[in-house]
Amino acid sequence: MTRRHLVGPLVLTSFLVLVLIGISAHAQPAKAPKYGGVLVGSPLSAPPSLSPHEEATISTVQQASACFNNLVYFDPAKRQESAETLVPELAEKWSWQDNHRNLVFFLRKDVKWHDGKPFTSKDVKYTFDMVRGAKDAKGKLRVNPRKLWYANIEAIEAPDPHTVVFRLNRPQPSLLLMLAAGYSPVMPEHVPVTEFKNKCVGTGPFKFKEHRPGESVEFVKNPDYFVKGRPYLDGIKWVIIKDRSTQIAALQSGQLDVTGIGWNAANVETAKKGNARLVVMEADSGVNDNLLINFKRAPFTDARVRRALNLALDRKAYVVGPRQGAATFGGAMLPRPSGVWGLSDAEVKKLPGMGDAAKQKVEAKKVLAEAGFGPGKPLKVTVSTRALAIYVDTASWVVDQLRQVGIDATLEQIETGVWHPKMTRRDFDVALNLTGIGIDEPDANFLENFRCGSPRNYSDYCSEDIDRLIAEQSQILDRAKRLKLVHEIDRRLQADGARPILGWGKQYALLWPHVKNWVQHTNSIYNQSRMQEVWLDK
Amino acid sequence: MSITRTLDLPTSTDLAPPAGAATVLARFVTRKPLGAAGGVLMLLLMLAAIFADVLATHDPVRTSMHPLVAPGADYWLGTDNLGRDLYSRVVHGARISLAVGVASTLMGAVLGGFIGLLSGYVGGKTDLISQRVMDIMQALPILVLALVLAASLGPSLTNAVIAISIPIIPRAGRVIRASVLSIREFVYIEAARALGVNHLRVAFRHILPNTIGPFIVLITAQLGGAILVEAALSFLGLGIPEPYPSWGRMLSIAAAEYAEKAPWLVIWPGLAISLAVFGTNLLGDALRDTLDPRLRGR
Repeated sequence: MTRRHLVGPLVLTSFLVLVLIGISAHAQPAKAPKYGGVLVGSPLSAPPSLSPHEEATISTVQQASACFNNLVYFDPAKRQESAETLVPELAEKWSWQDNHRNLVFFLRKDVKWHDGKPFTSKDVKYTFDMVRGAKDAKGKLRVNPRKLWYANIEAIEAPDPHTVVFRLNRPQPSLLLMLAAGYSPVMPEHVPVTEFKNKCVGTGPFKFKEHRPGESVEFVKNPDYFVKGRPYLDGIKWVIIKDRSTQIAALQSGQLDVTGIGWNAANVETAKKGNARLVVMEADSGVNDNLLINFKRAPFTDARVRRALNLALDRKAYVVGPRQGAATFGGAMLPRPSGVWGLSDAEVKKLPGMGDAAKQKVEAKKVLAEAGFGPGKPLKVTVSTRALAIYVDTASWVVDQLRQVGIDATLEQIETGVWHPKMTRRDFDVALNLTGIGIDEPDANFLENFRCGSPRNYSDYCSEDIDRLIAEQSQILDRAKRLKLVHEIDRRLQADGARPILGWGKQYALLWPHVKNWVQHTNSIYNQSRMQEVWLDK
Repeated sequence: MSITRTLDLPTSTDLAPPAGAATVLARFVTRKPLGAAGGVLMLLLMLAAIFADVLATHDPVRTSMHPLVAPGADYWLGTDNLGRDLYSRVVHGARISLAVGVASTLMGAVLGGFIGLLSGYVGGKTDLISQRVMDIMQALPILVLALVLAASLGPSLTNAVIAISIPIIPRAGRVIRASVLSIREFVYIEAARALGVNHLRVAFRHILPNTIGPFIVLITAQLGGAILVEAALSFLGLGIPEPYPSWGRMLSIAAAEYAEKAPWLVIWPGLAISLAVFGTNLLGDALRDTLDPRLRGR
């Protein structure tokens, strides 16, 4: 064999050796999780309470989830939540019976509350009787934002300490998913719900340690947690830092292990520029920016005025300006592919606000003139928003968009603690709101935000026809058929301007590489904070 | 024999003619060049505030599809995170800074001046009680007191003016009271009382006009502080609400979010605040030196 003939096999052999080295390196077993350490994070804001059933903010869910468990939960390791990613928690197994009219849970027998009392089916019945507002409920919630999620439950039975039966008026496959939401933990019957204002007694992987209102919330490892070998962390500390620039500095200096909720693309870029080792997780996450228009307050009772407001908002400018490119367009349901139920691209392009901006503004002025408003008599509007940077940025943009069609708009900033009560009282003209969808499920979204009479239907939009369609889609078991009806409802909600959606903003988590098993879900931010699998590689 | 004494009074021809405004200005510029520079800065600030609509190249609250553009031909000082023209916002910011500064200083100075006049002229228990209240108010730093007031009143233009004016009241009260205490002992005040002029007329006709010197010094000295407090309140989200351009608010957004990515967002409002405060302080110092006989000529 000549030297020339040797070259080919030599190159090939070298290549194969390199490939094998690569494969073997890649095939190395994943690093074994380490125990210990306290994870320090910074949430969106201080939690108004540690009672998820009574709140409507990620601030409570993110910080309180580690204390609780649900009957079932979305697999923290899977990025897209769906019926297929449900995992057992307090329920070992479950079963639909009687054509989806009975949902039976078989509970774990080895679970204790943090105060040592045993967990039983009575706690499950107590929790969900309280949330659905049953006549014989043993507890009562101060506010009950998601009561309508459970309106289809006829009765909850606890035939023995480890079995619970949810009896439904009609089939509702979504109930199982709503029970898996971060907003739906099981609460202890023996602890009054009022005590959850500043503390927490749960069954979860972490026990409550201390809550300094406006400063921090701390948890310590639950040594009696029913999942053996979990959690890995010794504790979690949530430090309240209101200012995003301070959050960035605290993360870069290593005082925080993780933060990023409520950040925009520029914040992420700044943080990453300051320290290239930081890991960035970007996801759609099911949070939309929307305009709440008070349907019950004049002159917004006039459909023409509402339509003008909707047309004035140029959705393309929203993505470029306040969201700096980090958002997608959509209707009431999270757009695909991150979302499961969103409208198609072609349909989204036809929605109000998606057309030619100049033409839409002309039309908005025309509609306003028909409603009796013009240069001589401008429509005066106060745009309320939460006093958080991510809200104020977009609200400032909204004010300008409205002014461009001759509306005399001014901005009003509301502190977090007052924001939800004010919205619940309907004490606003127009508000720029961020709505995080608890689970990517039409029932959860429609019942909570669009159905007549829902406390979270802040706009007080009400259509009997839409309510009928919502009820109809809810009981369809065939997903394709249900999707068709869901799209029909979404189109009509957008045409009615029920709650004009500006777009779906990207959400971020920024963390140090030593934080392991932190997974950012793509279609909700509410169901990933149990923290039982998170560990620190320090 | 009658003795007549003629008074050796100067005749009108002996007196130097009153100096014209141009002469006074020229003398001021020569003697107090730094004060004059401050005056020029103040003049520029006032011109920017008055002619903001003419000077601005864009609507200051109009957003655009060009966020965070660096300074250039289209946007002289660049754009902010919502694509708003920074030059136009800085120019319009002058209007808000000056309006809040002047309104709050005048309000505080007039209210404080009135209390000082009353306190100094009436004396006794009125003086004692009012001065103890002033002591309490002065014990709190101006920014802290303004912060507490702004936080309780909520962010708005009117509330910012109120919040900034209240801490000025005791300072104005003290200055005017001190002047009143010395003026009320003058012989012409005694003469006016002897002629039967009532107290109200004595206070407002014979004493108040003579406090105008310290009053002007007070206003110029407090104006810079008021502009700075407005900027600080807006920086902390308690001043002028979005989307109206306030230098402090602009600086707050810029520093918090984009200092590294778009440094021009920090530079221009920061420079505007510094120059405005610098200008008012220089002018205030020079006016104080000029109007205070003890410091005159130094």
